[in-house]
Amino acid sequence: MIHVEGLTKHYADLRRGRLVALDDVGFAAFPGQIYGLLGPNGAGKTTALRIISTVLRPSSGKVAVNGFDVVTQPSQVRRQIGFMSANTGVYDRMTAWEIVEYFGRLHGLSDDLLGERMERLFDRLQMNEIRDLLGAKMSTGMKQKVSIARALVHDPPVLIFDEATSGLDVLVARALLNTVAELREQGKCVIFSTHIMREAEKLCDRLAVIHRGRILAEGTLDELRDRHEQRDLEELFFQLITRHDERIHATDEPTVSMEPLPKAFHA
Amino acid sequence: MNWSNVKLIFHREVRDQLRDRRTLFMIAVLPLLLYPLLGTSMFQVMQFVSEHPTKVLIVGAEELPDKPTLIDGTHFDGAWFSSPDRAALLDLTLLPRPSEGDDAEAAFEDARKAVERGEYEAVVYFPPGFGRHLLELRQSLARRITDADDDEVELTVPDPDVYYNTAKEKSQITFARVSQVLSRWTDEIGKQNLSENHLPESTAHPFDLKEHDVAEQLGHRDAAVWSKVLPFLLLIWALTGAFYPAIDICAGEKERGTLETLLSSPAERREIVWGKLLTVMLFSTVTSLLNLLSVGVTGAFVINVLPQELKNVGWPSGLTPLWLGLALLPMSALFSALCLALASFARSSKEGQYYLMPLMLVTMPLVILPMAPGVELNLGNALIPVTGVVLLLRALLEGNMAQALPFVPVVVVVTLGCCLWATRWAVDQFNSESVLFRESERFDLNLWFKHLMRDRGDTPSPAAALLCGLLILLIFFFMGMALSESPQTMPASEGADKALADKGVAPVDNEFGRLARLVAVTQLAMIATPALLMTIMLTRSPRKTLLLRLPKLWTLPAAVVLAVVLHPAVVLLSEFVQRLYPMSDAVREATNLRLNAPWQVLLLVFALTPAVCEELAFRGFILSGLRHLGHKWQAILISSIFFGVTHQIFHQSIVVCVMGLVLGYLAVQTGSLLTGSLFHFTSNAMPILIQLLLSTEGTERWRWHPLIEKGDNLPYVFAWPVPIAGCMIAAGLLYCFHRLPYVRTNEEVLQDALQHERQASPAAGS
Repeated sequence: MIHVEGLTKHYADLRRGRLVALDDVGFAAFPGQIYGLLGPNGAGKTTALRIISTVLRPSSGKVAVNGFDVVTQPSQVRRQIGFMSANTGVYDRMTAWEIVEYFGRLHGLSDDLLGERMERLFDRLQMNEIRDLLGAKMSTGMKQKVSIARALVHDPPVLIFDEATSGLDVLVARALLNTVAELREQGKCVIFSTHIMREAEKLCDRLAVIHRGRILAEGTLDELRDRHEQRDLEELFFQLITRHDERIHATDEPTVSMEPLPKAFHA
Repeated sequence: MNWSNVKLIFHREVRDQLRDRRTLFMIAVLPLLLYPLLGTSMFQVMQFVSEHPTKVLIVGAEELPDKPTLIDGTHFDGAWFSSPDRAALLDLTLLPRPSEGDDAEAAFEDARKAVERGEYEAVVYFPPGFGRHLLELRQSLARRITDADDDEVELTVPDPDVYYNTAKEKSQITFARVSQVLSRWTDEIGKQNLSENHLPESTAHPFDLKEHDVAEQLGHRDAAVWSKVLPFLLLIWALTGAFYPAIDICAGEKERGTLETLLSSPAERREIVWGKLLTVMLFSTVTSLLNLLSVGVTGAFVINVLPQELKNVGWPSGLTPLWLGLALLPMSALFSALCLALASFARSSKEGQYYLMPLMLVTMPLVILPMAPGVELNLGNALIPVTGVVLLLRALLEGNMAQALPFVPVVVVVTLGCCLWATRWAVDQFNSESVLFRESERFDLNLWFKHLMRDRGDTPSPAAALLCGLLILLIFFFMGMALSESPQTMPASEGADKALADKGVAPVDNEFGRLARLVAVTQLAMIATPALLMTIMLTRSPRKTLLLRLPKLWTLPAAVVLAVVLHPAVVLLSEFVQRLYPMSDAVREATNLRLNAPWQVLLLVFALTPAVCEELAFRGFILSGLRHLGHKWQAILISSIFFGVTHQIFHQSIVVCVMGLVLGYLAVQTGSLLTGSLFHFTSNAMPILIQLLLSTEGTERWRWHPLIEKGDNLPYVFAWPVPIAGCMIAAGLLYCFHRLPYVRTNEEVLQDALQHERQASPAAGS
């Protein structure tokens, strides 16, 4: 469903020279599965997901979504995915209903189908009270709901959640995680990036621990626990990262990946 | 492209903008309030300024004759004004002048100082004996008429002096009033002198001019004012109306984080750009129309209130709205695309606002140029973007339909071309992740240089290529200033081609030495050196950058033949360009330098040197860098423009720019600098050799062969069949070059793949 192979992304950076945000990253995610990307801030998660959603182009490597190449067939790829991140904003001067409807139409849904889907989505996500509320007047939780509805409205086979729970209170975050779990039941292929261990533990079928642009470990939660003989995910994560950093210092390897450059989208 | 997506985006953006109070204020409220307010305040200010009395000092008024009376109390006599009550506008202070001698000199000096100090707006100084001389003049005239022998009396009167200060507007107005009064008074004295001596008034003033304004009869007189004001307003507001929405829907979206959402939707970048472009265009058009409407309505009221004598501004013709509407659409399309591209470059709305001024600075001269007196609609001006539209619009508003119509196709083609280019630029901006995801970072020149050195690739980056082009232009500008002893400086090689124009007619040996040195300095120091230095500093592979490899052998003779067969067409183009934009005499003088030197030396200086130096810079460093943009032709075009602009005489620049396209194409297709250099050498050598042929004694019979004739502007041109045949052979040769497999940059491979994908799935959007 999603095949990532030898994915590398580098930027020119005035201060640090060529900045490698992703270094030979590879993984595969399948339908009915939640694939977790676990990593600290600036690990390269956002860059990887932006490449999968065709917003950025890879420097090298191959990424295919449902068999479509992200570089040469970007519009087909975008049809397959619903993308949601803490950075994807909501239009200030549009109501919740208008925003979801707009993206539904961009995906080419017919009026009847769109109307029916939206009614169902608004019921399921309990958004009926904010139907006519302008984006500017919404709380963070409301905005996040609108973003989810926007990502789901065309019923895509692949869903990408990039740090989707950041900035949400416990109640809203929990509701979001439930929605993500439901999507797996519906047979969707979900990629879920986070730096919160509890979320990864609860949700993900497979995990990749990513740090400084590299995948340090990959497998199901149990596989990782067995391989590294550590039951506690947080400890495991900490061990992997510390060991990697020590190795870098020991071999004096050039430092890679700090910030993936998301600032432009945060205002 | 899926137009239903474009429509969706357009509808959303329009709705979004209409919900924004700032936009509504800019496009609807401001124009409706602005002109009435401006009109009202102008009326008040004008009244305040024009009705203010000003102070005048009169020295020596006591000697003035009683008839005709100049001064009545503390004012001039009402008879010297258009209406007697206007006499109150000049408050007079009368100062008796000490009779004669030193005191009189001092009074003269005091009068000047009084104006300098600003105590009075003007001072009129009647010199000693002024009144007496006037009287004597009249009496001597009478004597002359009765006694024909008496012609010994002096007939001159000493001139009065008027002091005023042009640096002060009030003083200028006062001077205008005073000089009008004095001239009317002088006329009256003349009339009285004549009538006392029984001579008719027509002795001094035998006739009047009768004025007939044809425009008035045709009803075009009113158009003159409108034809200047309306196009100006139309364009300025089209630009302003495009700018603010463009900033909001590009930079604003980046800021609010909604752009990433849109980019990950199925809408293609082109569809997004078109949707936004149409929105910006709509607002630009509406802003402009509302402003014109508001001007019209305000104008109607103002004209009605104006006093009768000021009512010389009437209504423009009934077709005006039609012409304005037709001109507005392409102009707002062009401005919208430009604004959109700039706005997508900005990281935030605030940064976007800073781009308004540079945009205005580029656009303003194009809008204001046509208002300069004497600038008429002709083919040359019609080819200039924006200016052509303004001139066409002016001609149409003035009712000169027959003059305007032939230029309509030219203006339409130029404007549409610019629109397409600007739209393409905007789409490119949206395709560039470095633009969409630009980080705000503190700019540090030192860091930037380090980055350039440390992270250099095999070939230069597009930015380095542009920098090299700009650097060459900058060096050209300053060195050109420093080297030019006279306006005759002709630094570039193609200048030399023309410099050879009248070779052999009147040899000036020094002139050649000077020019040769100049060309050498220009080529080596200003073109080759910067490019070579930058190659060494900013690239890892000088060989790849400067295309230092052997091409396929057949391309070498092919390049020579191509240059030879293209030459007649190039000469024709030069002749055409000079006819289109006639050269000023000074420039023509400069291009027609007469040189005398052995042809081998001429070839070395004017053909070989540029063929090496210019190729290294423009086809080597600059083109190699620009090819990382991903579009071969875009790179060739930009490098040609740089190549053209370095030839500082406009006429040459155009021709050279066209040659640059061929040179760039040869460099890309062969992957070698050698083929292009050979082409360049041959092109530059052709005029030298042909003129040698034409001027040599032994080949007199070749002179003005039926196929070669003297051009209006150039020493020779070819008859029509020659360039046509030449172009046909050239097309064949270029086809051979076209079939060569050429090495593409990674960016070009990507763009080709995307293009291919788009063509393969035309229904991608459905």
